[in-house]
Amino acid sequence: MEVKLKVKRFDPESPEVKGRYQEYSVDMPENATVLESLIQARDYEDESLALRCSCRSSICGSCAMRINGRARLACKTQVRNLTKEGGEEIVVEPPGNMPVIKDLVVDMSSFWDKVLAVKPWLQPSGPPPEREYLVPNEAMAALTEVMNCIMCGACVSDCTVLEVDPTFLGPAALAKAWRFVGDPRDAEDLPRLRELSEASGMWDCTRCNMCVQVCPKDVKPMDQILKLRAEATHAGITGNAGSRHTIAFTEIVEHSGRLDEFRLPILTHGKLNLVGQVSDLPVALRMLRSGKMPSPFHKPIGGVKHIKRIFRRFAGKKPSEGSH
Amino acid sequence: MRYAFWPGCVSKGACPELYTSMVRVAPELGIELEELYDGNCTGAGVISEHSMETADALNARNFALAQRLGLPLINICSTCQGVQSLAQQRLRKNPQLAARVNEALADEGLQYDAEKGLEVKNFLWVLVEDLGLEKLRSMVKKPLTGLKAGPFYGCYILRPESVLGFDEHPDRDHYLEYVIEAVGATVVNYEGQDKCCGFPIMTINKKNSLSMAASHLSEAQSEGADCLVTPCPLCHLNLDAQQPDAVRYATVNGLEVPILHLPQLIGLALGIDAAELRLNRHVVSTRKVLARL
Amino acid sequence: MAVYEHDVLIIGAGLAGMRAGLAAQAEGADVAIISKVHPLRSHSAAAQGGINAALGEDDSCDTHAFDTVKGSDYLGDQDAIEILTGEAPGDIVDLERMGVTFNRREDGRLAQRPFGGAGFPRTHFVADITGQVILHVVWEQVVKAGARVYEEWYAISLIVADGTCRGVVAMELRTGQLHAVLAKAVVMATGGLGQVYHPSTNGLICTGDGIALAYRAGATLMDMEFVQFHPTTLHNGILITEGARGEGAYLLNSEGERFMNRYAPERGELAARDVVSRSEQTEIDEGRGVNGFVLLDLRHLGRERILERLPQIYELALDIANVDATQEPIPVRPGMHYFMGGIKTDVDGRCWDEDGRWQGLRGLFAAGECACVSVHGANRLGGNSLLETVVFGRRAGRAAALHAAAASASPVAVEPALAGAKEQLQNLLDRPQGSEIMAGLRRELGVLMKTHVGLFRSGDGLSQAVGGLPELKRRYEKVAVGDKGKIFNTSLIAALELGILLDLAEAIATCALSRTESRGAHSRRDFPKRDDESWLKHTLVSFSADGPKLSHLPVTMTRWQPQERAY
Repeated sequence: MEVKLKVKRFDPESPEVKGRYQEYSVDMPENATVLESLIQARDYEDESLALRCSCRSSICGSCAMRINGRARLACKTQVRNLTKEGGEEIVVEPPGNMPVIKDLVVDMSSFWDKVLAVKPWLQPSGPPPEREYLVPNEAMAALTEVMNCIMCGACVSDCTVLEVDPTFLGPAALAKAWRFVGDPRDAEDLPRLRELSEASGMWDCTRCNMCVQVCPKDVKPMDQILKLRAEATHAGITGNAGSRHTIAFTEIVEHSGRLDEFRLPILTHGKLNLVGQVSDLPVALRMLRSGKMPSPFHKPIGGVKHIKRIFRRFAGKKPSEGSH
Repeated sequence: MRYAFWPGCVSKGACPELYTSMVRVAPELGIELEELYDGNCTGAGVISEHSMETADALNARNFALAQRLGLPLINICSTCQGVQSLAQQRLRKNPQLAARVNEALADEGLQYDAEKGLEVKNFLWVLVEDLGLEKLRSMVKKPLTGLKAGPFYGCYILRPESVLGFDEHPDRDHYLEYVIEAVGATVVNYEGQDKCCGFPIMTINKKNSLSMAASHLSEAQSEGADCLVTPCPLCHLNLDAQQPDAVRYATVNGLEVPILHLPQLIGLALGIDAAELRLNRHVVSTRKVLARL
Repeated sequence: MAVYEHDVLIIGAGLAGMRAGLAAQAEGADVAIISKVHPLRSHSAAAQGGINAALGEDDSCDTHAFDTVKGSDYLGDQDAIEILTGEAPGDIVDLERMGVTFNRREDGRLAQRPFGGAGFPRTHFVADITGQVILHVVWEQVVKAGARVYEEWYAISLIVADGTCRGVVAMELRTGQLHAVLAKAVVMATGGLGQVYHPSTNGLICTGDGIALAYRAGATLMDMEFVQFHPTTLHNGILITEGARGEGAYLLNSEGERFMNRYAPERGELAARDVVSRSEQTEIDEGRGVNGFVLLDLRHLGRERILERLPQIYELALDIANVDATQEPIPVRPGMHYFMGGIKTDVDGRCWDEDGRWQGLRGLFAAGECACVSVHGANRLGGNSLLETVVFGRRAGRAAALHAAAASASPVAVEPALAGAKEQLQNLLDRPQGSEIMAGLRRELGVLMKTHVGLFRSGDGLSQAVGGLPELKRRYEKVAVGDKGKIFNTSLIAALELGILLDLAEAIATCALSRTESRGAHSRRDFPKRDDESWLKHTLVSFSADGPKLSHLPVTMTRWQPQERAY
């Protein structure tokens, strides 16, 4: 099978040359992966092509790169799943949101720095037990998703918030933070959650599911971020717009069955936050002018008492207490 | 074609033009809408942050209402679609959760049959899968030739693919483009079309939210788009109502990109009057679009 | 070009290296680790099935020790094995306390699963990603301890002064710069050499760098002929864990027969790996294979158990073999997997013998797969490799720190070593582009080794290998480096690695030819029996300009005399 690759090159010794793509054509077996094809191109056509790879079995995390515009593990991506009729070009680029060192190799320092920033080690308290900590298997099983993370960087590559704001902690670091908050042996939940609730932390995620979509190990980083948010809110760490927004939204729906868009921004800022309220005036005026201002008189739905009952029944459990 | 219809909260609040244009356009396409007047908010992914199970239960209530009518459920919001699809999957995979939810619904005389499930489709999917592009093309009275439209999907109708039926319908991430072409307009592709508009973080990190909107708007404008079309009113809010504030982060001069709701695009192609479609009720004026037609 | 100085330098940031780093730091040493990849890319992550320790109430370290001795086909040194199995429980608990998310029993205690060659279930596991999780957790501890890691630095040669190992010359991939890193004790922990074979389960980085560096610098290698072929690998060499059989999977031939019941009536699919691999190959050779494979059948385990206990291999079978393991059996065959041999060390990781019984290199320590203590002898049990990295990584790290504390800080002239490395690299870079393709030559070597120094060997085949290698080495001298850049020159690294692979292949083939018996993983058709009278000894090999020089060392036996080995 002919595999056509269009690979983005960057030579650090000629940095002025930008946006250069090089095409390779290699003959590969039917079930070849993109990684095997790249290695074939490198080994037999162009030894100057730089890429990171090792295990070939989706466990070392070296070969994350953008393939046809989306971050993937090259060793896990079969060529024939990408090309409908075969013979189409596969575009291969380095992961995004990280500076390129050479070709497909990027500088992952910011990635590692952010992981380190969440203190990614177990912090138990008190003297160690006589042997192992006794924990139910369910507690260990509940961490399965996040323990699958191989730190490949695919999520960070394609995170839509990191695209506009490199200070955001990012999906990998935040998911790793949940790994500890969710582990019953870790005793530092509250300090962790407090720190993660600060600027550029858990509340800055825009909930776009891009990380969930691209993660090759099904870690679902965004889902872990949502667990952090729920855990923080339940723990009373609510002195931030994100938490206030969630609480306000939830309370409004609980009491009326649908969203009251007039009150939501007011409650999110905090009723006494005059600066916040005033900052909304321009958009409010624009909405008014266009006839899009939601009515300040918000009617509950007919079945609102049933909504209240649903809330009473379900809204008690924290994510760390089990099924979320 | 009959559907139970949950219009969502925003189409009756900050985007009333969406609701009006949908109910005006649907019958023209042969779509009968049975509105769930007693339906409730889906949670928009926000209630999931508070309690995933509460969100599941709230969505199950809407599903039960639709099942009671014996009709599939249509929505006009990418966010409603994504939240509802996820809730369905969770309820189907976890019979214990479904049972607990049904216990709560029973008090109202409602039940959601998670095993049987419910077809939940955004108007965009209905157009392509239920009505069909052939039929749509044949219904076009005023082809929108000359109009260059960029698609903007909204995250929740695209990701994660495993929740949104991509196995069965692998090109759901191209439907907007098919529809734009079917009504005679020209598609303008740009990288940001399947990314995030920034709406969920508007009140948390305004700068990032506006930067995201500005990035996609600027890109679309540079590629020559006259307008964007979106099936999500939350995206509409961030791209339209916030556009004047997003301008300061734009990478083009004179950023001005009107945003159309999907039913409005269809309505124009069906020859419906712009005022009826409330095209005069946008923050960013749609005159640019109307001038092309 | 810079010179760095530390107390203890560790080469390799896999499990053994990082565990050694933690232990050395705990003794107060200033520790640095150099690694040619980021620590989390180390091949320790690929270990799937589990880590052994006799923690079960009805289990005992003695039984674990005997199982290991028998598994080693009586070539393992029993004092080292008693240490491995005796200290195992403490090390597993340590790992758990560091945060490893081991599977648990109903009572919340650590769970164990059965594994090959084990008389009792003693393999602790995290689904089928045990190595990955342990690697990450140990890395977290290294990060917490603040140890210095020189990431993506490639070790080119050891610096030896006054007959003592004093550091390494390394190339920083990012800049292409050469640096010298000096230390009072050096711990080699560079892992295995699977890339000498094609195919192999090993990652592309597993080129045995540290073994060759030690060899060239005067350390002795031991038991180089013992290469493990894992019974269940996919067509491209990727590993399917023994844990699958531990969970109850069957091995079937083309007739649907669970053939292992014939070869190993007692243990069946869970016999020692060398026994299972040879049985499979015999089935295939005798026409009862399926397109050159046998079948690993998981279906009867049920979807839920497969996805809960073996999720990674389920994905691998799907991604690589296009097989849904809940619906069809997985085609598998023996594949090169692990290297029992390595740099000879004592039970504290020292690569020299105070009593001079074998030639070594003072100041050098080694641990993990690159070392040979020997705990695995002629064949390794599954679950004992991860164990070895932590037990002996810890011991070597501690011993290195104590050695460094007692060592005198005599100055070392680094210029000759740096100049030598610079010349070596420049020679490679200056070679004109000829017809010899590096990757092609590497592939030829891998196939040669698999064919003639593989699962079943013979005097003829081994002679062919030994005879064929000088030609490959000559052709290697003509190989040019396709990338002439300074920054991130992976082609230059590949050229250095190929030279290493050739040296190691030579040592392996020479030792294999010399051992005229079959024992454990070394199986010769011309000498099919185990010969304790002549061969109950280790093969030692050291580097010389005239080729590998062989000698022998008796096996240390404490409690168990060799018996017939049947499963």
